[in-house]
Amino acid sequence: MSAVLQNLVNQPYKHGFVTDIESEVAPKGLNEDIIRMISSKKKEPEWLLEFRLKSYQAWLKMTEPEWQNCHHPKIDYQAISYYAAPKIKAKLNSIDEVDPELLRTFEKLGVPLHERMALAGVAVDVIFDSVSVATTYKHKLAEVGVIFCSMSEAVLEHPELVQKYLGTVVPTGDNFYAALNSAVFTDGSFCFIPKGVKCPMDLSTYFRINTEESGQFERTLIIAEEGASVSYLEGCTAPAFSTNQLHAAVVELVALDNADIKYSTVQNWYAGDENGVGGIYNFVTKRGLAKGVNARISWTQVETGAAITWKYPSVVLLGDNSVGEFYSVAVTNNYQQADTGTKMIHIGKNTRSTIVSKGISAGKSNNSYRGLVKIAASATGARNYSQCDSMLIGEECGANTFPYIQVLNNSAQVEHEASTSKIGEDQMFYFAQRGVDAEAAVSMIINGFCKDVFQQLPLEFAVEATNLLSFKLEGSVG
Amino acid sequence: MSDATALTPAIAGRYLESLLAGQPQRAASPLAWLKALRAEAVERVGALRLPTTRDEEWRFTDISLLGKTSFASALSATYLEAADVAPFYIEEATTRLVFVDGIYAPELSSPNAGSGTHSGVVVSNLTSAMAAHAAAIKPHLGRHAPFTNDAFAAQNTAFLHDAAVVIVPRDVSVAAPVHLLFIATQKEVVSTPRCLVLAEAGSAVTVIEDYVVLYQPRWQEEAHFTNAVTEVVLADNAHVTHIRVQREGSKAFHIANCAVSLGRASNYQSVSVALGARLSRYNLNVMHTAEGATCALDGLALISGRQLADTHSCIDHAQPHGTSRQLHKCIVGGSAHAVFNGKVMVREGAQRTDARQSNRNLLLTAKAHIDTKPQLEIFASDVKCTHGATVGQLDSEEVFYLQSRGLTDAAARNLLTYAFGAEIIDRIPIASLKQQLEQTVLEQTASLP
Repeated sequence: MSAVLQNLVNQPYKHGFVTDIESEVAPKGLNEDIIRMISSKKKEPEWLLEFRLKSYQAWLKMTEPEWQNCHHPKIDYQAISYYAAPKIKAKLNSIDEVDPELLRTFEKLGVPLHERMALAGVAVDVIFDSVSVATTYKHKLAEVGVIFCSMSEAVLEHPELVQKYLGTVVPTGDNFYAALNSAVFTDGSFCFIPKGVKCPMDLSTYFRINTEESGQFERTLIIAEEGASVSYLEGCTAPAFSTNQLHAAVVELVALDNADIKYSTVQNWYAGDENGVGGIYNFVTKRGLAKGVNARISWTQVETGAAITWKYPSVVLLGDNSVGEFYSVAVTNNYQQADTGTKMIHIGKNTRSTIVSKGISAGKSNNSYRGLVKIAASATGARNYSQCDSMLIGEECGANTFPYIQVLNNSAQVEHEASTSKIGEDQMFYFAQRGVDAEAAVSMIINGFCKDVFQQLPLEFAVEATNLLSFKLEGSVG
Repeated sequence: MSDATALTPAIAGRYLESLLAGQPQRAASPLAWLKALRAEAVERVGALRLPTTRDEEWRFTDISLLGKTSFASALSATYLEAADVAPFYIEEATTRLVFVDGIYAPELSSPNAGSGTHSGVVVSNLTSAMAAHAAAIKPHLGRHAPFTNDAFAAQNTAFLHDAAVVIVPRDVSVAAPVHLLFIATQKEVVSTPRCLVLAEAGSAVTVIEDYVVLYQPRWQEEAHFTNAVTEVVLADNAHVTHIRVQREGSKAFHIANCAVSLGRASNYQSVSVALGARLSRYNLNVMHTAEGATCALDGLALISGRQLADTHSCIDHAQPHGTSRQLHKCIVGGSAHAVFNGKVMVREGAQRTDARQSNRNLLLTAKAHIDTKPQLEIFASDVKCTHGATVGQLDSEEVFYLQSRGLTDAAARNLLTYAFGAEIIDRIPIASLKQQLEQTVLEQTASLP
């Protein structure tokens, strides 16, 4: 059986091609001049440059975190190019004017840029290296008052909104990578759902790193005003390079009274080859602030790629009766390392949170769940339920759980459970006896294991995630 | 937990040295290896610093209060009348070792020298046992509880001149429990109790490790500091039941390390109950050194007022076919703080490990708080590992049910709280101790706010 599994888990990365496109790349290294260069290239207002420089000063005083269960050679932050962009000749008016080479890239990745081709009417913002190249359905969304555009555009067109919310959920000095991102972030998505509006379609951002030795530092900000609701999807891929690239993003969500934000990620960055050479370092800070009463923030993530994943999508439950959710599937293979989980900080009364985390480790990989559930003294009646399950495939992988539970209020109810299992011989035998071959059986067992999380994904993404998983684990039985 | 109250490394370093002050006055051991072990520990104390909340292992337990109190080492034992100590005796125990402020009190003890009896069981203090049993003791003493990176274990080992030693020879089952009683009588004194339990192949024994305080008329409720180290070694097929009761004074500091080494198919059952001390910390490390060993670790912390009780356990499944069970409960009242960190490690190759861990916490008051971290680290694929943790308060429906039967609200709550703790106490196989503890728990729950 182990031979079958061996085949199943060793699948090549299908998004590893490089697009040959003329790019404008900033010189390597980080200093105030580079930051000023990025800022002036993007024609940013003075306050944003100050925000960046302040973050840079904070970053200089910080040291890289070392507590996580990941190991990598020291990153030389002066060897990274902090800005890379495909050369754009003039301002684009329509998607048809986008460089055909770029369009082909995204066609190849299965991202529908042509509005007429857009599956199920999802609005897409596409980020290629450091800049946003296209946003679809912008006008249709504008009719109901939804602002969906790239961060650079938002800075120029809606500076008052950006200035009001940027850095309020993840402060500039929050952690090493967040400070770095605040100093050098280049682009990302900006969504604003005004009071009472239910966003008529799912919003989606597609991230692609194309340039070797560059880093992607995107910044996403989503604001749902009173009673608004939105579902947001994020996807990521990168070419296969033998060097490691850094991806240090910051995502901030703000939900006011009765607002509802659902954020789904399918992360499929290049994970390095079977010997652990190359791959993306995915060091991301994602945090939502459930600011108003009855606000709801839900994170769903399917993490299959990246050489190292270090991210803890969190929810600060400030408003009374607010709800936080975290659903995660993390798959690691070969030499991949994942240290991921969530933080649920209960501050408001009667706040509720649910955590469902599924980790699958194969090959020589290491998969850790690290989470914090904190019930502050003010969070009367708070409730948390956490479940972390791990599955191990093979003899050389590891699965770890580090759940921190801190309770300062006696009316709170907190439950945490974790289990570890494997694909049992008896399960495989049962399938075989019913005429299901080994490959289909493993796929079914794994999909069953992840069902609780996949159910939370929007339909198109659920299909993509299921495919991604089976394609990560598929292979010939021989 | 704020960093402002944490000690700076410089002060912390000096503090440890101050604890060593009495060390040179201790009688030197005639045995070269014991002298070398102590010298090595002294050197480690010099190199280490007192942990602060910046250290992950001490993140939730701020011991800066300990650093603010200076302790002298006890050089002479207080003389105690047998009548003073009698209430602590456990009737089922036929052998007993009594240490007063860490110093062996032969007049209160009833040891078993080993050679004279037909079973050959040794229950003795180290100094007396050393002559006849050095060969058995040497490979184990100080070898299971590492002190290279633990300032407290190092400090204890530096003072290692006497200890409670229990040696059970091959295939001998000791019916009556062995009582190791540690009595604190002096204020502002640091004592360093040490235990070594060696269960040879196929043997069985029950050991009660008991920490109590006997107040002298001259002082009441003053701080003392107990820094204990226990090593338990189970050879193949050995069976050890280890009951640990910590009922020190309400201003005491109690820090203890217990290291357990499990041989092939051995069975270790442990029940630890923490009731006393202003600040207590218990590190319990169980190592599966051979296949097929079983361990069950149960714990109860019942605290109130401004107490802090911290339990850090680590079950290391280094070998296949091991089984472990753990149930740890905390009842926290007043503005007390309970900490639990339960690590279960399954090493590469430790296939067919079956590990289950459960941590249940009851918060009785608004100011009580708990930090818990059940932790699994698994590097083998064919294993069954689960852990669970809950934090909550008494179920209002259960309280209502009892009230509907005529109990007052307070009585209903006391009964439920008692029942929550009694699950652990019930696992103690010694009737008189169980009764004594049940009484204590009942009284404590009744007095809890």
